[in-house]
Amino acid sequence: MIKVSNLTKTFQSGDNVVTAVHNVSFEVPAGQFASIIGKSGSGKSTLLSLLGALDQPTDGSIEIAGHDIARLGERALVRYRREKIGFVFQGYNLIPNLTALENVMLPQSFGRANSHSGKTRAMELLDQVGITGDKQLRKPGRLSGGEQQRVAIARALANRPALILADEPTGNLDSETGKMIFDLLHKLSRSQETTIIVVTHDLSIAGKTDKSFHLQDGKLISKK
Amino acid sequence: MLIAHQAVGRKIDDVKQSVGNTITITPAGFSDFSQANNALTGSSLSKVTSLAHVSSLSENLTDRVTTIGSATPEFGKFGSNASSTNNTTSLTSPITINADGSGNGGSMRVFIRDGGSLPANFSLPISVLGTTTPLNVEGGTITLSSGALIDGAKDTNSALVSADMATKNNLKVGSTFTAYGATLTVAGIFTSSTKTGGNTIVVALPTIQRLTNQPDIITSATATVDSLDNLSSTTDAVKSTLGSNADVQSSQSEADNAVQPLQNVASISLFSLIGAVIAGSAIILLTMIMIVRERRREIGILKAIGASNTRVVLQFMSEAITLTVAGAIIGILIGVAGGNPVTNLLVTSSTQSAATVNTPTKATTFGGSFGTAGPRAAFGSRPAGGFLSRNGTSLKNSVTNITTNIGWSILAYGLAAALAIAIIGSACAGWMIARVKPYEVMRAE
Repeated sequence: MIKVSNLTKTFQSGDNVVTAVHNVSFEVPAGQFASIIGKSGSGKSTLLSLLGALDQPTDGSIEIAGHDIARLGERALVRYRREKIGFVFQGYNLIPNLTALENVMLPQSFGRANSHSGKTRAMELLDQVGITGDKQLRKPGRLSGGEQQRVAIARALANRPALILADEPTGNLDSETGKMIFDLLHKLSRSQETTIIVVTHDLSIAGKTDKSFHLQDGKLISKK
Repeated sequence: MLIAHQAVGRKIDDVKQSVGNTITITPAGFSDFSQANNALTGSSLSKVTSLAHVSSLSENLTDRVTTIGSATPEFGKFGSNASSTNNTTSLTSPITINADGSGNGGSMRVFIRDGGSLPANFSLPISVLGTTTPLNVEGGTITLSSGALIDGAKDTNSALVSADMATKNNLKVGSTFTAYGATLTVAGIFTSSTKTGGNTIVVALPTIQRLTNQPDIITSATATVDSLDNLSSTTDAVKSTLGSNADVQSSQSEADNAVQPLQNVASISLFSLIGAVIAGSAIILLTMIMIVRERRREIGILKAIGASNTRVVLQFMSEAITLTVAGAIIGILIGVAGGNPVTNLLVTSSTQSAATVNTPTKATTFGGSFGTAGPRAAFGSRPAGGFLSRNGTSLKNSVTNITTNIGWSILAYGLAAALAIAIIGSACAGWMIARVKPYEVMRAE
């Protein structure tokens, strides 16, 4: 259960104060697949980084499983990101020097996971997202965009997060691959009981999600 | 530089223990003949032996004997001249004198004032050195070519003769000759690089005291001090012990001259070492800053997926340490290969420049060393001095002949320096890492 109340984020840009997110409130029940849509500059990426505890809000609260993450300290935020959140980025953001398998094992190594079980889990996850065999031992540079995004999704799932935040996960992919990635996310939200929030400007994707929020100029103008 | 520094530092300690750490004790007024009877005695010197830092004491009594039946010009009298009138010997000096200035071969030239000439039956007097330490006379070392050493403390009729003397007089180990009316046996034959040494007989101190009827008399003594650092304080102690009866001189300036170039090299290598550590830290620092800037995005990702600042900083630090330790290992390998030549080059060029600058003083401070021992010593005109003159060349060799070796301490220091460089160099990078905000990185897609 995610509950966002009166969330506001302002930036100082020169002499102007830019309000990227303005008094946004919404709820997403656990295990649902939600989308946030809006044009570029509408504040959707800022909203996502607030949800992912990458940035702190100017005002308002974000309650996840009863905890207000807007009030957490630096250490607790790191722990929250590690244990409760999985990120999927538009640009995949895999570590280029590590193999697909090592990339998936990475978030577990930040915690106290034992390396053997971590490896087993990473291989299972890669199998689930369709990266099999020797592709697991390739470095990101030798995988296609769609494959890299699958690895990124497997990495996001590694620590069994409560929430997966995906920022334009299909933005760099052709429509066919994008649809496959979207279907994968959809399937995972069902099978892993994970809440997924996707930021996108692709209305065809937004139409298929359980919930959809439309942002414009930092304000929530419609909910579905 | 670390290797050079250690090698030179060790050498300085070594030189301080072995070079120029002697105190020469002569009877007061001896050098200007004003108080020729004011001799030292063995009993007064025994107090010197018990002083702190005096590691050994060499006591000497010198005299001259003339060849039986030869005419001897008066060269001056030394020490207590109460010696037996019977100071003649069956031996002939290996040195021949040509008064007409046509000296050649192994002979020497003598210029006689007012156009006089030497008597036809002239033969150079032979120096007799009685010493307690036949092995180590006046800072020089005897090299025995055959036979055995004599015990400097025991009154026996045994003597050491120079190889030149042995050749001239057909002596072998076990041969006998007469001196002071007594029959002496050749116990050993030594080689000497100087003319004076070649014209010398060495006997035990008690022997010559008995033969010349000068019991307990000593014409010079040399105290060896355990280290150069204690030389000046020990010199003062000896002075106060012996009072006005003795002139006490240390070879402080000589020793300083010997050690100075080494100390220069030591400080050069120390400053170079400090410079290298600073330069190394700066290079690693800049490299790490570059790496952090280049990999800002990666740092952002790591933080976004749950890595703490500590974790990321540790990762980058371990990269820096890996880099520098690899560098240190390569550096040590190069040091092993190049340490010796570089150290020797440094020391050689440093001592050479010092020798060039100090040439005029060197000649006096080293007693004519660093060059030729000089014919002026040939008549034994210095009391027991000049004998086996302290050889400047060998001193120079002992200073320049430095070998570097790589011990565990060097490895440990090297690795510690590398670690210090890595940690200092990456500390700033760590601070930069801590400031990377993941959302800034994400937004810059």
